[in-house]
Parts: sequence; C-alpha cells; structure tokens
Amino acid sequence: MKKAILSILARDRPGIVAAVSRALTDRHCNIENVSQTMLQKEFAGIFIVTMPPGMSSADLHREMASSLEPLGMHIYTKPCEGGEDDCEVENSEPFVITTKGPDRKGLVAGIAEVIARHGVNITNLQAVFKGGNDPGDNIMIYEVDLPATFDRQAFARDLRAKADALHLEISIQHRNIFEAIHRI
Amino acid sequence: MLTCREIISTLEMLKSENLDVRTVTLGINLLDCAGEDIAHVKRRITERILGLAGNFVELCDNIGQKYGIPVVNKRIAVSPIAVVGASLSPARLVELAQSLDAVAREARVDFIGGFSALVEKGMARGDRSLIAAIPEALSTTERVCASVNVASTRAGINMDAVLLMGKTVKRAAQLTADRDGIACTKLCVFANIPEDIPFMAGAYLGIGEADAVINVGVSGPGVVKKAIERALETNPGMDLGSVSELIKKTAYKVTRVGELIGREVAEQLKIHFGVVDLSLAPTPHVGDSVGEIFQSLGLRAIGVPGTTAALALLNDAVKKGGAFASSRVGGLSGAFIPVSEDLNISEAVRDGHLCLEKLEAITSVCSVGLDMVALPGDTSEETVSAIMADEMAIGVINNKTTAARLIPVPGKKAGESAYFGGLMGHSTIISVNNGSGDNPFIRRGGMIPAPIHSLRN
Repeated sequence: MKKAILSILARDRPGIVAAVSRALTDRHCNIENVSQTMLQKEFAGIFIVTMPPGMSSADLHREMASSLEPLGMHIYTKPCEGGEDDCEVENSEPFVITTKGPDRKGLVAGIAEVIARHGVNITNLQAVFKGGNDPGDNIMIYEVDLPATFDRQAFARDLRAKADALHLEISIQHRNIFEAIHRI
Repeated sequence: MLTCREIISTLEMLKSENLDVRTVTLGINLLDCAGEDIAHVKRRITERILGLAGNFVELCDNIGQKYGIPVVNKRIAVSPIAVVGASLSPARLVELAQSLDAVAREARVDFIGGFSALVEKGMARGDRSLIAAIPEALSTTERVCASVNVASTRAGINMDAVLLMGKTVKRAAQLTADRDGIACTKLCVFANIPEDIPFMAGAYLGIGEADAVINVGVSGPGVVKKAIERALETNPGMDLGSVSELIKKTAYKVTRVGELIGREVAEQLKIHFGVVDLSLAPTPHVGDSVGEIFQSLGLRAIGVPGTTAALALLNDAVKKGGAFASSRVGGLSGAFIPVSEDLNISEAVRDGHLCLEKLEAITSVCSVGLDMVALPGDTSEETVSAIMADEMAIGVINNKTTAARLIPVPGKKAGESAYFGGLMGHSTIISVNNGSGDNPFIRRGGMIPAPIHSLRN
C-alpha cells in the first residue's frame, strides 16, 4: 500500500483534527502516524497515511484540498519515500544548545548555519521569543545529535564564536543532565 | 523532548545559583604500602597514587564540561596514615606528609586527606606518632589534611586523646602564627567519623573500603535559597511543612547532578562509585551561603532564636531529598555551618547574632559541627580540649557525627578578623567564656564511657 505525507496548517480552533481525520476516513485512508503542534494560535500537523489501492498522492491532495480548503486549511501532500526506519545517527549523543540574548535578525540562521556546517542534525527546536532587549526574554533551545566520533571541542568553539558575534550567551551540554535533574 | 521549563530552570541553577559539584574525591587504599623503610614507603605511596590519579583531574574537567556543571575541586583521600605509617617515627611521618603534599601537587588535586588516626578506644603507637607529627606536618605542607577520631557512640570519648588534641591544635596554630594559625584549618577532630566523606578536612579512606573509590560531594546552598525566595514570592504565607517539601525537592535536584557526574567519573576511571554526600556546603562567594538560607526563611541572621529549629528542618529536608536522588548516600550529608567559609555566618558572628554557645547548640541538629571556628589566641589548651569534648559528647550521645575544627589565632582577640584565604575565607574571632583559664575537669583524662543506648546487640 502506498503512503503519503500530509502537512496541514490552519488557524487553530476546535474541530481541525476531526475534520482532517473524517476526510481521510471517507476516502478510505488510514492514519499511521501523526505529529501536531501549535504556535501562536496556528495549528500545524503532519499526518502519515496509507492510501487505498489505485490512489496516488496527487489524487489524495486534490480530494483533501476540496474538502478542507473551504474550511480555511492549507494542505501540502507528497508521497512518503523510504521505509519506517528512524533516521537516527548511529552511536550519537544527544546535546542541548541554548542561546539567550537580545532579539535581532539572523539569530537562528547564524546558529543553525554553524550546526549545519558541522553536519549535525537538529532534532528539536524550541523558542521563547518575546522580542526586545531583555536577554531573559529571548531563548532558543536546539536539541542536536552529536556522533560519538565528532570533534566536540571544535564544534563548541565555532558555536561560541558565533554566539559572541551575535551577542548571545550560549550553553552546550549533554541532554542527560536535564533529565537527571528533572525526571525520576 | 525536553520542556522549555526544564531546560531554563537547569541553566538558571548553573548560571546564577552556584550549582556545582563541590568535589569529586578519589579514595586510594595505601594499606599495602606500609613498611619500616621510609624511602620504600614514600615510593610505593607515590606510585600507587599517581598510578590511579594520573588523569583524574583532566577527566573530571572533561565530564564537567560535557554536562556544563563545573567540578570545582578534585581531591584525594587515603587510608589513615597512622595505620599505614604505624612503624614510623613522628619525624618520618612528617616526611611522609611532605611526600603526600608533593604527590598532590603533581596530581593537581587541591587537597589530600587521610593524615589521620582513629583513637576512639585507645591510642596505639602509630596513632601517638601521627598526632605528634601533626603540627609540623600541617605547617610545612599546603595540601595535606588531617583528622583524628577521638570518640564514637560504641566506644565513648577518649578524653586522653581529647586532651592531647587540644595541645596539638595550639601547637599547630603556634607554628603558623604568621598566617593566623592556618595549619588548624586543615585539622578536624571527630566523633563517629564516616569513612567516606568527600569533603576536607575529614576525608580519609575507611579501613573497610576497597582499593579505590570515587565519592562525590555536591553543593548548592544558593540553589536552595533561590528556590525558597521564588516560592515565597508567589506564596508569602508558605508554612514550614511546605518549605520543608520545597527544600527536599530542591535537594533532590542538586543531588542528581552529583550522582550523574560521579558515576561517569567512576565509570571512565574503572573505579567503583562510592557515595554522594549531599551536603549543602557553602563558599565565601556571594550567593553561595547557608547562612543566607536562614535569612530567606525569615530569621534576621543565623544565631537568633529560631535558628536551631530552622536548621533541624533544613538538615532533615536535605537528607530526605538527597536520599531519593542517589542510590548510595554517605559522608556527612546535611547542612554545613562553617564559620569562616560562609560569608554570611562570619558576619553573623561579627554583628553579635551568633555566639559559640549557639553554634554548639545547632551542631546537635546539623551534619558537621564546630567548623572553621576562629578562637582568641589566648584560649588555653585545656579550654580548646573542653570545647572539643562538648562537641564530642553531642555526637556520642545522639549517635551522630560531630567534629571540631578550631583555630586559636595567635595574637588576636575576640572581635578581630582572621584571614585564611581562598575557600577557607576569613572569619571574625568568636569569644569564649572563661577561655584562658585552666580546666581541672578536662585534665582528669581517661575515657567517658559509651552511653547505654549503644548496647544494641
């Protein structure tokens, strides 16, 4: 059975998930997995679905769009490639990078560039942006996976240099410390 | 996925609340290095210690960096030298102390503990030699720490030893008179000494321990204080039961840090992990004070009425939180009240809120004792012994550890300042009633017998 990935954006309100799942069921699609998040009153969801025989992702898109766009939702659909393996890096260690500093253009781009340059994947990203100059009000949290054989010193050095240039305070530490303190 | 709150609160603890691992202490067994030939003994000890501690400091720093939590001190604790050096003369033992000092320097640890004797039931030849060597050993070395256990709940109080230690403390102070008696800051007299304290000056490797062990001392009085302040901001009418619960949870978090780091150090060194000592151990830095916790609870200063009750609450809550956080808790585990190391406590003495008598009273509910207490220079040997005896009695009768780290500062009087520097801080000299007189009671010597409740068999 072929799979497709649907990505849905909508102004948040009760009934979105019901509408999406109803539309999928009506077309004989099965929801395999879903991830949903909310950011400042916008709903965003990713649905991995199996389609009935004979349906392509283009077909599914057309059908779903016709049901959901009138309700004010935006949909992006594509075929799901590859198997179900997790794309976890082998033998990697989870680290958490936190930056704190006054808001300005290019903070995320700057840090993300260094991370990308070292070939590191960001597995989770959270921001607490309130704008303005109080450093406490602008915190970015990047969870990354560092391969075991990675040169952490060089990575840390480059990150700190970039953070200095952007007037950010930066911390880099293994994820276990956060779990150890807050979870039993 | 970690929540924002978890990450931010952890970082706050590190950045502005002085959360750190106060010490990782490597315990090294030296019992098989014993011998009569001093050169042989020194060589074996040096080889043994450097063999195990070669990359110890670097490893602690790397692990500290990995987790973003500084390991502030790295220390070594060895088997009691009175046992290892039992056949050596006092002069040779001084030489041995100097050798330990050199090894500590080479291993880059800041202190090496274990120049110790256990004399609760009687003094053997090796013990006497060690005690005789203490003043010179501590005044001619920088990093060596000494401890003598003079009492235990099972044995009673060895008053001959207490008398001898009063003389020893005075002599050590005399030999370092130009530095306010600093040798005494490296000497502790104990009742019921634990075998696995990671902190100095009481750290030594107990006789029942293995070849090597890693013990961790955490800290975090700043974290506790901030937690209390934050809670009181949202709930100013918080009652003491809730305060206790809050301290317990905070102590849990602080201890988890020590457990995580200690285990990893132990794993990487392939040495077994001993205990986490979850003591709230202050430093002279602002915001890293136990005394300030009392103020955040609503007492004007440590030493005013209510202090003993507050300390009882604090000490117990710390133990409970820490016990849940670690698979093995040991050492002292509670709240320290070192008069000179804690700026706030030192000021409380200076401002007249805290006197020796109140300090002694609160040692009955805390985990250490009369710690880093600077006394007037004219305090007599017998009075020093008597102060120790009082502290030992509290420990023996209440089946807890107590200790006395007393510094009679040559040439200075009560109210003046003694300056020890670094982590040891500086202190206002506390007054002692009838301090310069003689004390025929103490002179009697002998043993104060063990209390009846020690008969537990």
